[in-house]
Amino acid sequence: MILRSIELESFGRFRGYTVEFRRGLNLVIGPNEAGKSTIAEAVPAVLFGTDHLERFKPWGRNVCSASLFFEGRGHTVEVKRNLLTDEVELVEKDDLYHVRSQFSGNAPFRGRSASCREYRELLEKLIGVADERLFRATYFFGHHPQSWSSDELALKLRTLVSGTAEADYAEILDTLLEEHFQLTRSNPWGRDKQRDREYETVCQQLSEQGDDEGAVPIFVEIDNPASDDSQVALEEEISALRDELDFERQEYEKGQRYIERFRQQADINKETEVNKEKVEPSAKVEPVKEESSGTNKTLADRLTAAGLPPSLPPQLPELLSNAAEIRQELAALQQPFSILLGREKKIPQVPWMVIGCLLVLLVALAAVAFWQPFFKTPLLTAVGVCSVALLAWVSWRQINRNKILEQCRKERGLLEQKKGVSQQRQAELSERCDALGLPSSAVDLVRLQKLVMTHRLLLDQYWSATKSDDPGVVTGAEVVDREPSSQDATEPVVEKDLLKDDEAAEELRQLEVLLADFAANLQEKEARLEELQVQLTSGLHSPETTAEVATDVASQQGPLVQEIAVKSTMSPLQRRKNDLEDRIVVLRKSVNLLADAVDEFSRSHLVTLNAEAGKMFGKITGGRYAEIKLDENMAPSIQVDGRRWAPVDHFSRGTVDAIYLALRMALAKVRDDGRSLPLMLDDPFVHLDQKRLAKTLNLVDLASADGQLILFSHNLDLGKRAARERWHVVPLDGDVVNTTPDEGGEHAGQLHLL
Amino acid sequence: MTRLLGSAHIETLAREESVRGVLVRTVIKQSEFADEQELQLLEDALQLLLKRFQAMDGEAS
Repeated sequence: MILRSIELESFGRFRGYTVEFRRGLNLVIGPNEAGKSTIAEAVPAVLFGTDHLERFKPWGRNVCSASLFFEGRGHTVEVKRNLLTDEVELVEKDDLYHVRSQFSGNAPFRGRSASCREYRELLEKLIGVADERLFRATYFFGHHPQSWSSDELALKLRTLVSGTAEADYAEILDTLLEEHFQLTRSNPWGRDKQRDREYETVCQQLSEQGDDEGAVPIFVEIDNPASDDSQVALEEEISALRDELDFERQEYEKGQRYIERFRQQADINKETEVNKEKVEPSAKVEPVKEESSGTNKTLADRLTAAGLPPSLPPQLPELLSNAAEIRQELAALQQPFSILLGREKKIPQVPWMVIGCLLVLLVALAAVAFWQPFFKTPLLTAVGVCSVALLAWVSWRQINRNKILEQCRKERGLLEQKKGVSQQRQAELSERCDALGLPSSAVDLVRLQKLVMTHRLLLDQYWSATKSDDPGVVTGAEVVDREPSSQDATEPVVEKDLLKDDEAAEELRQLEVLLADFAANLQEKEARLEELQVQLTSGLHSPETTAEVATDVASQQGPLVQEIAVKSTMSPLQRRKNDLEDRIVVLRKSVNLLADAVDEFSRSHLVTLNAEAGKMFGKITGGRYAEIKLDENMAPSIQVDGRRWAPVDHFSRGTVDAIYLALRMALAKVRDDGRSLPLMLDDPFVHLDQKRLAKTLNLVDLASADGQLILFSHNLDLGKRAARERWHVVPLDGDVVNTTPDEGGEHAGQLHLL
Repeated sequence: MTRLLGSAHIETLAREESVRGVLVRTVIKQSEFADEQELQLLEDALQLLLKRFQAMDGEAS
């Protein structure tokens, strides 16, 4: 976006004065007090308002207003401000002069009203900057350039560099974290929160119910008056059929494993015999291994596709069973702990306050009795007896309390001991899991257990295939290679009975036929079970029964359906716990992903800015310094001697000016998103020596080629150069300007110099 | 089952030069080495974040 003109209706020393600019380099040249800085300052004053109205308000006049005209790709923006009232009119028009967006209202410099916010949002949208400090730090370079090292500014600069509203992403992160900490006190990014949240409460309730383990099947009410005899009979039949099916499924799986093993052995035998005749002894096992590893790979792929981690060790079922056992132990310990806590709370306290008051009363009575003339002795005796009785009662009560507390302490100690043992076992188990590359958290292990239960058959096949591939295990090939006397009595039966090819093939065929018959029978029974379940469902519409049937039906289907069915049979608390766990895991992942993405995005843009600024700074300093680094607070450092980084404060004023100029130019180049404003340089070279001045001017000239750059200067040498380089020149002669100058075409500025 | 990852919408988002683009690219990269469970988690997280982005855009516009 370029600044096409500034119209100073009544601003500083100008009245009805218009300054036109062009794309490329513009030079506003004039002696001191000619109004260069006033024109430069008009831009932020109109855009954002000002705190220094007295500086711009014309003397003796009650008007102070100016307008800016910006021209962008396919649209123009006009901003007009009355600085006395801070009334702003902003109009954005497209190429056909149709109004795209507009604002008209009050927008003071430090305003916080709704209209002010609306105006700033529009500015942000149109020119990318809605903050005066940010404008001065990026598009404006005066005698005292705004440095970049401030927390608030750094955030805005980072946002500007990356072209994104980083604050918005921080807000998303905040909402995610807030949601996370509403669910659980556990904090993976720091210390845990103090107060228990919903997840911990649910866990506590579950452990009090002794219900911490997995899904809890919901049983049909036995004494349900609605259930008639036929339904009971149906249920009995289903139950019997289900048991039968479970048994037969196991048998079928065994049969499958046996046939698979048999087939492998037969293949191994065949291979071994062939190899015995043809190849070297050292190469005999290789084909077997290759085939076996091929089977392994297929099985491993299937397991991975089923959601199981790759290369599961054969000890996994044992580990999972141990983990479940430990969890049960720990859950079982929760109940005695809760009971013990309840008992401890119920132990009556000694009412020390009441006793203290009574004692004070007795002392007061004794004092009164002592000083009054009648019944002194009986009264004093009564007070003494009461005091002794009170003290005896207190002592008895305290002793009792101590006894009960001691007993509780002993019980707690025993429970702690048991808990310690379980935790020790859990720690050992975690170590074993870690060593085997398995997840060690309880949640992961429960999930893994569910998956293992679902895909047990596949896993068994995988492990048996892996075992045959393991060089430590005796394979068929090795059996053949061995002498008969060296054969081990513990080898599998199949390996012992190495059959001839034909016999083996015949036996395999028979086994497969048997297994196929068995499978057909199994399918018939499963269909029958399903039919019965449908009958039962149509008879009973209670949600519990439906859920049970859903589980059974789902057990015939895929893992997702099974999971849904398992969920539907859980108790509401358990279900809530699982939902919370899922949500917490998703929230944690989301937070980590977003934080990483924002970080990477900012870093990548910062790297680009560093490189660009370093290049420009190198050109200005004639290659003396060529590397600039911005830290996370956007504070620049310069690389010295090719290795050491020195903060910018360590350098001379001229170098500091050069670095901030390089950074502004680099930012304008990096952030070329069509919303950038022109760079305004108000006498930026006063601290530069001749050599750097010449190089900087070359750089400024180059930088202006892609956009617009407005240079304000009193240096007449620059005027000469402007004439040579055909820069657009706006001359100011130092007299008060009252009228719009003759806009004699685009060469007017240069003609003035000529 | 239709996957969010691998959809045309996600591929379009991955080409964006924005935080959202970086996020989607990161998720796609991580999903290449993820098992089924991890993949599901990545999809859920991405879906949640995209909804928040959408809400943010809605508020901004």
